[in-house]
Amino acid sequence: MQTPNFTMGDFMPVLPAAILAVGAMVLMMSEVFLKSASRTYQAVITVLTAIVAGGFALQNAFEPARLVLQGYAVLDPFSSFMTVMVCLGCALSGLLAAGFLKHRNAERGEFYALMLFASAGMSLLALSNEFITLFINLEIMSVATYALTAFLRRGPRSAEAGFKYFILGAFSAAVLLYGAALLYGATGATKLNELAVLLPAAVAATPGLVYAGFALVLVGFAFKVAAVPFHMWTPDVYEGAPTPVTALMGAGVKAAAFVALIRVFVALGHGIDHQIPFMVFSGLALLTMVGGNLMAIPQRNVKRMLAYSSIAHAGYLLLGVAALFSPAGSSNGEFTIMGSSPLLGANPNVANDVFKGVLFYLLGYTVTSIGAFGTLAAVERREDESRGNTWDLERLAGLAQRQPVWAVVMAVCMLSLGGIPPTVGFMGKLLIFSAAVNGGMLGLAIIGVISSVAGAYYYLRVVVYMFMRPAPADAGLPVRHWTTELALISSAVAVVVFGILPGPVATWLSRLGMLFGN
Amino acid sequence: MISTFDSRILNVVIFLPLVFGLLIAFMPKGEKSQIRGLTFIGMLLSMGTTIWAWMRFDPKSLVEFQLEYRLKWIDEIGLSYHVGVDGLAMTLVLLTGILAPLVVLASWTYIDERVKEFHIALLVLQTAMLGALCSMDTLLFYIFFEAMLIPMYLLIGVWGAEERQMAAMKFFLYTLVGSLLMLVALLSVYFIANPAGARSFDYASIYNGLMAGNREVALCLAKGAGADCGAMSATAMAIMKYGPWMFAAFALAFAIKVPMWPVHTWLPDAHVQAPVAGSMVLAGVMLKMGTYGFWRFAIPLFPNAARGHQKFFAILAVIGIVYGALMCLAQKDIKKLIAYSSVSHLGYCMLGIMAFTAEGATGSAYQMLNHGVSTGALFLLFGMLYERRHARLMSEYGGLAKVMPVFTAFFMIVTFSSIAVPGTNGFVGEFLVLLGTFKSNLPMWIGVAAATGVVLGAAYMLWMVQKVFFGPVTQQENLGLSDLKPREYAAAIPFLILIVVMGLKPQPVLDVINLSTTRFLARAQFANGDANPPNDGKIKVWVRQLPVDGVAAAALEQPTEQGTGRVEALTIRNSAGAIKQFPAVMRQPQLMPLQQ
Repeated sequence: MQTPNFTMGDFMPVLPAAILAVGAMVLMMSEVFLKSASRTYQAVITVLTAIVAGGFALQNAFEPARLVLQGYAVLDPFSSFMTVMVCLGCALSGLLAAGFLKHRNAERGEFYALMLFASAGMSLLALSNEFITLFINLEIMSVATYALTAFLRRGPRSAEAGFKYFILGAFSAAVLLYGAALLYGATGATKLNELAVLLPAAVAATPGLVYAGFALVLVGFAFKVAAVPFHMWTPDVYEGAPTPVTALMGAGVKAAAFVALIRVFVALGHGIDHQIPFMVFSGLALLTMVGGNLMAIPQRNVKRMLAYSSIAHAGYLLLGVAALFSPAGSSNGEFTIMGSSPLLGANPNVANDVFKGVLFYLLGYTVTSIGAFGTLAAVERREDESRGNTWDLERLAGLAQRQPVWAVVMAVCMLSLGGIPPTVGFMGKLLIFSAAVNGGMLGLAIIGVISSVAGAYYYLRVVVYMFMRPAPADAGLPVRHWTTELALISSAVAVVVFGILPGPVATWLSRLGMLFGN
Repeated sequence: MISTFDSRILNVVIFLPLVFGLLIAFMPKGEKSQIRGLTFIGMLLSMGTTIWAWMRFDPKSLVEFQLEYRLKWIDEIGLSYHVGVDGLAMTLVLLTGILAPLVVLASWTYIDERVKEFHIALLVLQTAMLGALCSMDTLLFYIFFEAMLIPMYLLIGVWGAEERQMAAMKFFLYTLVGSLLMLVALLSVYFIANPAGARSFDYASIYNGLMAGNREVALCLAKGAGADCGAMSATAMAIMKYGPWMFAAFALAFAIKVPMWPVHTWLPDAHVQAPVAGSMVLAGVMLKMGTYGFWRFAIPLFPNAARGHQKFFAILAVIGIVYGALMCLAQKDIKKLIAYSSVSHLGYCMLGIMAFTAEGATGSAYQMLNHGVSTGALFLLFGMLYERRHARLMSEYGGLAKVMPVFTAFFMIVTFSSIAVPGTNGFVGEFLVLLGTFKSNLPMWIGVAAATGVVLGAAYMLWMVQKVFFGPVTQQENLGLSDLKPREYAAAIPFLILIVVMGLKPQPVLDVINLSTTRFLARAQFANGDANPPNDGKIKVWVRQLPVDGVAAAALEQPTEQGTGRVEALTIRNSAGAIKQFPAVMRQPQLMPLQQ
């Protein structure tokens, strides 16, 4: 057995994840020896860890793209951008959690440790280039989020959410693994770039095996990104989880799963008739956009509404993914192969637009959903938990008079989710829809914008309640905590600033065309 | 020095209200009169900047878009911050600026709750409206166009009457449906107009990119249905296939905003429920975004589709005119009556645009201003009445002339303007529109039907005036009504001055609009199968390039032999500093003949 010859450069991409994991271990150890009751410092450590990790990820962003760790992982703008985003999400939801947990007497070091472990998993998932690595990282991320979901062990709701998430998550991971095994059986490779090269021959030899593997991997990912009709768990889990955890899930978990999905299917798309991934993703996008938005309309529970809205947003992202495989734009439906890169199979004319659009959208959704769930976390009160109306629209009534800053943050986030300029949500939608139009998917783009009008309706309803309804008589005093305020204000500022000046991020994202350095 | 200012005036015009909005955000809530005062000062200054821009605007200049300013924004997708005004936009900017302080005066005592938020919303709305009018980048226009919705939505929804939330939601969703479809069309245009690498959202780049394709399509269509058009460029193929749909999306978005029949149903609700300020801004400026959009985007970008649907839109406009007037006759609610009269008046604007004649287009542009002044004034005056009596029904009033003689006189003058009595501004606009319609290729009966609108207009307005102001005082409460206060004089008199001045001396305004009209017509013209369609130089849009090399600049770099005259014009107008900053890239075709 040969000892692999690793250099420092091989470990640079995984350094942010390692920092996150070290931070988590420090927190767990400190919890063991803790004497005092004050635990806000744990949130501060979490945030600092995330910032340091994010800083290293930023360093990586300007490295040339390459395969590392013998091809098991890949360093490209895609993975480093995702890591930065995960760190941002982790820091903001850590801040949110501090005030939230303190109010509930549930501040524990392991909460923050789990958060950091989950983030490490997300970061690693985004750079996995091999099915086994991908599976393990997916599990690191998922197991930590299962535990976080059931962290508040009060009442049946959080146990139900945790259990449901665990069962379905384990099931979907198993399906994904099974699919990967079938693909391994067909090609004898687990590394994505090798898979891409071997697939055309495998399709010719054993088409059944390849298509079955493709379908199973697809289902596994569809569960993770909550695409309709694999979305059933989302509303319950989002509602049952502690709100800061929901923020992290909405932001990080979904984003990491999307990045992995794109990486895998760009490789799998090679060798398979491109009509198949195109049709599949278009169909999923259609169902998810329309379904998510329609199901969100009747919700009076804001947290459930946001859960359905996150489904709808996954639909817009899937629209971008579908554009990758769109036949339009390429000459005679033939796909130009760009060297030995994993862009094989993707439509090179729109690939750049799609990557830019999807990643910018994910960034926008991260900051926006943290702002939205964060406001909910700040507003919700323990007393309501027994009555089951914790997140009813009524709870937000008159927020503009009670807590103008929170109301403005929530309103900005709602407008961003609805895609109204000048917010980051608009910029994201613009980039995604322009990629879709460029891919010739005019019909789906029109359905997408029409369904987002339905979205505007239920987002605006929240604004109506906050600004145009009187406060209920039993509205208690809000519980304020400096970390919460900091998280809310910084996410709202990010929503507006990225909406007006996406320049630096957009420039960075346009380097994504250099995936794999060629 | 002056030229340095020139290129930045519009930035000041657009963002000054926003700066005041930020200032007010830091003031304590309780300081109501300070907030009102500061907003008023801000709006006065904003008006000052628009007047300054108006003075710097040279109506005789060969330069179509003046006072330009351009800045890199998001280079990757060819989006730049690009502002500039032509004659039409300039007049609308001036109207927006003049209305603003009057709007603040109108709600001085009417709004007493959440004063701070109200004035911030007004200032933000002002910035969004001015920004939309000045935008030379289609996406920037879209951003401002959408951004207008939010403050307006809050104005109606928070400070409106009883049914305000329903009205606000209806307003928002209606407008959003249209504008989102327009966004898809805009993206399609963006991809069609220019090849990859040269794509830009800049108006000039999109217009110039589509021009050759539009010409090919026009030639092909002129051959008649089923004719073989031979090989066409990719752009022309795309326009042939998708052009009508993209035009439909643009037209729907703007038709909702205008609003044209049958998508007008949000307007009566929004107007009735909105506070005085909301109604004034909505009628005064926001509705013009619809007609302005047809003028600037929908028709020039898709002249073939626009020509093809000329009759369709003209008929919709006439239905709007007559239907709006008939609805007015049936109203008991005064505010609803004024709202439906807006549908009718905006019908004239659309008819004038759709006539595609010089008189029609000029009249339409003038009518946009008139409607802003006269309907704004009607809402203002009715707002004063509503503040005193809190009643909207005509039957609640009667014989007010005896109690409030000055108010009655003011209302009469505004009514005359609204029903286009000669000597008032309304006459000039409606007369030109009708003249243009009769001279156009539209069938005679359209003009005749539109003319009945004038008669009906006189009927419903005078009827309303008679019921409200004349006859005996029927309600005891009305006996104690006080006449106008000094603040109310200050708000109303500028309107009266505008009505009379614009009625008797329209020429200065018409001069500014004139060149815009000829350009608009030339751009709409080349789809009408003329033997001599206007050449490229006449219709091309010339703008300033990006200061540094960029995606957008590459798309616009199209030097032609016609450029020379323009650079000289620029040299005279601008100092050396400006030329140095923006190398000689502003070119303009020869001055077009004013008469087609």
